Amino acid sequence: MASVSLRKLEKSYGSLRIVKGIDLTIEDGEFVVFVGPSGCGKSTTLRMVAGLESISGGEVLIGDRVVNKLAPRERDIAMVFQDYALYPHKTVRENMGFSLKVRGVAVKDAESRIGEAAEMLGIAHLLDRKPGQLSGGQRQRVAMGRAIVRRPQVFLFDEPLSNLDAKLRGQVRTEIKRLHQQIGTTIIYVTHDQVEAMTLADRIVILRGGDIEQVGTPDEVYNQPQSVFVGGFVGSPAMNFAKVTVDGDALRFANGDRLPLSGLNRGRDGAMEGRELIVGIRPEHFVTLADPAMTLSARVQVVEPLGSDTLVHFQIGGETLTARMPPEMRPAVGSEMRLGLDPSKVHLFDAKTERTIA
Amino acid sequence: MLDLSDRALAVLLLAPAAILLSLIIVYPVLRLLYTSFFSLSLTSGLPAEFVGLENYQLMIEDPVFWETTWNTVLITLITVPGALFVGLGLALLANLPFGMQWPVRLSLLIPWALPLSFAGLIFAWFFHSEYGVVNDVLARFGFPGVIWFNSPNLAFAAICLTIVWKTSSFMALIILAGLQTIPRSLYEAADVDGAGRIRQFFEITLPLLKPAIVVALIFRTITALQTFDIPFMMTGGGPGTSTATLAMYIHQNTVSFLDLGYGSALAVVMFALSMCVTAVYLRIIRTKE
Repeated sequence: MASVSLRKLEKSYGSLRIVKGIDLTIEDGEFVVFVGPSGCGKSTTLRMVAGLESISGGEVLIGDRVVNKLAPRERDIAMVFQDYALYPHKTVRENMGFSLKVRGVAVKDAESRIGEAAEMLGIAHLLDRKPGQLSGGQRQRVAMGRAIVRRPQVFLFDEPLSNLDAKLRGQVRTEIKRLHQQIGTTIIYVTHDQVEAMTLADRIVILRGGDIEQVGTPDEVYNQPQSVFVGGFVGSPAMNFAKVTVDGDALRFANGDRLPLSGLNRGRDGAMEGRELIVGIRPEHFVTLADPAMTLSARVQVVEPLGSDTLVHFQIGGETLTARMPPEMRPAVGSEMRLGLDPSKVHLFDAKTERTIA
Repeated sequence: MLDLSDRALAVLLLAPAAILLSLIIVYPVLRLLYTSFFSLSLTSGLPAEFVGLENYQLMIEDPVFWETTWNTVLITLITVPGALFVGLGLALLANLPFGMQWPVRLSLLIPWALPLSFAGLIFAWFFHSEYGVVNDVLARFGFPGVIWFNSPNLAFAAICLTIVWKTSSFMALIILAGLQTIPRSLYEAADVDGAGRIRQFFEITLPLLKPAIVVALIFRTITALQTFDIPFMMTGGGPGTSTATLAMYIHQNTVSFLDLGYGSALAVVMFALSMCVTAVYLRIIRTKE
């Protein structure tokens, strides 16, 4: 096992900068998830760590070794690819054992490692099949098995669940988490799915346009988003945003509703008179029983009963917001209602920079 | 709406293809077989006479038949593997991540697109004893000029070289198409697994190219068995009949001598030879599946 450090890591294609100087240290044994929208540089960063992509600037260290110039095979890493990249003409056993064969591991030792990994992943009965005879989930496990038998310093996962259906994705996600708890190797995992990021990660790295937007534990990025982007990216349904102006001792919404600043826990100090802000509130932080001063008038547009709870889409001024309500709550479409806010959960962002205000 | 049973519908849907195939393949082949049992020479002025297997008996006793058949087999045995190796090399080259792919692909296409007889003519000039570029190059390195088409062995070598040049690009195109179906991630996985380039070639590229290679080999072998244009244009089968192929001998009997009976019997043998080779390849493919 080893730590991984990225120091001012950059990647450019000609004048196009894909990764813009990332600084990050991943601790030994940590499970770190890179998450972000398409084109944010998450896969490119992972591939630079793997050695599959050249580095335009900065350094990658695995343990205390700078690996910039090392070939992938010299970095002591194992990677699980998005399309699994299983050798189609080799059996599961040969796929899993290929790296061991290449490295000259004794056949007996290789067999026992393959058997051990196959047992761990529940694929022992598939060892003599070829990838074409396996289901998506089984292929996924073989790809993980191939990585495990290597006993590498670091595991790299490049969107490994994106080819699976929703149900299987949930299952394999749990298996990956269990696997990490069992073997404890450092993992860098790339996904665009924030649910995967939240459920798997010790720490989440949210990337945007080749830069780190925020690094933190799942709780931190969820509860203390540093920007509108992070707030909107993490959580489903997404955080609601509404433009407000600081007016005396209150925030004034576009529809004239006022929210007293005194009720808020955060961001009060930055709320100078006339300053334009963005209020962020998660759907689950609307409350039905609230201090009457901390309520907004809303017109109900759409009601979505989910069984466990009800999503109510409503309009305040020109903006559509979503609230997660108790399942028995079924307001009539078109009706006006007063929606309460949990003041401790209201986030304030600067309207221009879209960063959180102190 | 017509109320057709499934069977009738199947017959109806298959009929156009079946009729077409019968007209252009089944009928000519059967007609060829039929003619081969007749003595039918247009120059004799005699009517066609049923002679049973006499044409085949003649063939067995005909040294030119054996020589041209041997030449054909030899050309196949030399030029098919030759074109495979050269084609594989070209395909691997063309698959490298060049900035400009099209000049490489175009240069692959040109020999393939060239008519066979044209290639034969070009190379006949290349190997010309006085004006040929090959002798010119030899002379520049201090070697004496060679009269290529006077020696059976040299003429044969020149023909094989020309066929390899002409047909490698076809092999390369099929193999290149095969190469491009191999996902890049397999090589990346092999990189991470620790395999070097040579190991990757033997462990990934070659096994995954097998289907493309088998298809290329089938096509190339069948056309090699029918080799005609290039030796016809380069040597006309000479010196003597030392570079003549079975197809040239069939042409000579049917077109020059107008001996349709014997020519048909020869053609039946060539057809059988092609079918045997195809059957062998198809069997290889099926056992792989």
